[in-house]
Amino acid sequence: MKKESFAKKRMYPVVFMLLVTVAFISVTTVIYTFTKDTIKLNERLRLKQAVLYAGGTGLSSDPVEIEKAFDDRVEEIKDDSGRVRYYTIREEGTADIESYVVIQTGAGLWGEITAGVGFDRDLDSFRGLEIIDQNETPGLGGRIDEAWFKEQFMGKQPPLSSVPEGDPASENQFQAITGASYSTEAIQNIVNAAREYARTEIQGTE
Amino acid sequence: MKGYKVKKVFLEDLGVNNPVFIQVLGICSTLAVTNVLKNTVVMSVGLIFVTALSNVTVSWLRNIMPSRIRMMVETLIIASYVIIVDIVLKAYMPEVSRQLGPYVGLIITNCIIMGRAEAFALSNPPGLSFIDGIASGIGYSYVLVVIAIVRELMGSGSIWGYHILGDWWTNWSIMVMAPGAFFTLAIFIWVVKGIMYKREEGRSS
Repeated sequence: MKKESFAKKRMYPVVFMLLVTVAFISVTTVIYTFTKDTIKLNERLRLKQAVLYAGGTGLSSDPVEIEKAFDDRVEEIKDDSGRVRYYTIREEGTADIESYVVIQTGAGLWGEITAGVGFDRDLDSFRGLEIIDQNETPGLGGRIDEAWFKEQFMGKQPPLSSVPEGDPASENQFQAITGASYSTEAIQNIVNAAREYARTEIQGTE
Repeated sequence: MKGYKVKKVFLEDLGVNNPVFIQVLGICSTLAVTNVLKNTVVMSVGLIFVTALSNVTVSWLRNIMPSRIRMMVETLIIASYVIIVDIVLKAYMPEVSRQLGPYVGLIITNCIIMGRAEAFALSNPPGLSFIDGIASGIGYSYVLVVIAIVRELMGSGSIWGYHILGDWWTNWSIMVMAPGAFFTLAIFIWVVKGIMYKREEGRSS
């Protein structure tokens, strides 16, 4: 076997790897830079949509409508550091508060679940629930993002507990997801924690 | 000659050299994403894209790439394409991206991509490697789609999210969970191989 020179044997692979790395990182950086703003806008729009949905406004998912409704009717109540504590949604065309929305994060099965939870103005019943971010098992726990599951929270009264899927639920109960007890429990904790938070944060200050 | 070769590579990846039921590669994602048809299809499209492009790139670099670091280079190439898919989905298809969540990133670990880069792209020209990538991707996809249809129908009573079976149907939760994929995949391989052996026997006698 021919003996390879030091440069060919040791240096070439290092230089080659370096060049390939630089080339690919440059390409991904360019693509990232071009799409960065779109991604941010998407995330912001998603949050606005979630607040309006959880607030029980019954708006469609049309982006233009959402932007307009959010600008007209929603106010972000912030603390001193600029963090949003909760959202207030006004009735259309009036100054009366229709509902409050709290963004609540809790532990799910694989990762955190972030949800928007809406309350009526007296905080004594739920206006809606929207899942903003979740990593539950698709097809099982992932079903917390299905419409039938989220819609059932409208008008329910805290504290909530669950009944098996398909069973009739009273005003303090919601239907669990079969095969996803942990995710169901996670949602139960989130909606009840959101209600506690709302009571101290919203009623405590007004 | 070339046309013949292209056709041969293409058909082999779909049948006698199928990545899922012959090479038994990519099983992890076969188990993970096949409980709902929609996720399966998006995963498949992503995989076809990444396999084809990484095959081309690896084949392109095959003559100047030092063989001792080839796996590092391949991993880098594959990871870059997957990140591109992830970014593009987030920017232009946010709904799909949200539903797939961590699965897009997991394309990186799909053994089919690395397997095709190692087994095919390293010793074939870019054009043919591209065809091989597409064909392997399709070979993977149609198996997954069949499994996903069975699992979603039996596990959730629906296909593509639309309820097909009425209220009389009791969902088989096990079909939605990983064991359901094992059963379905095993039955699929059993049937396909059975047909293949029958044919071979018919040919030899």
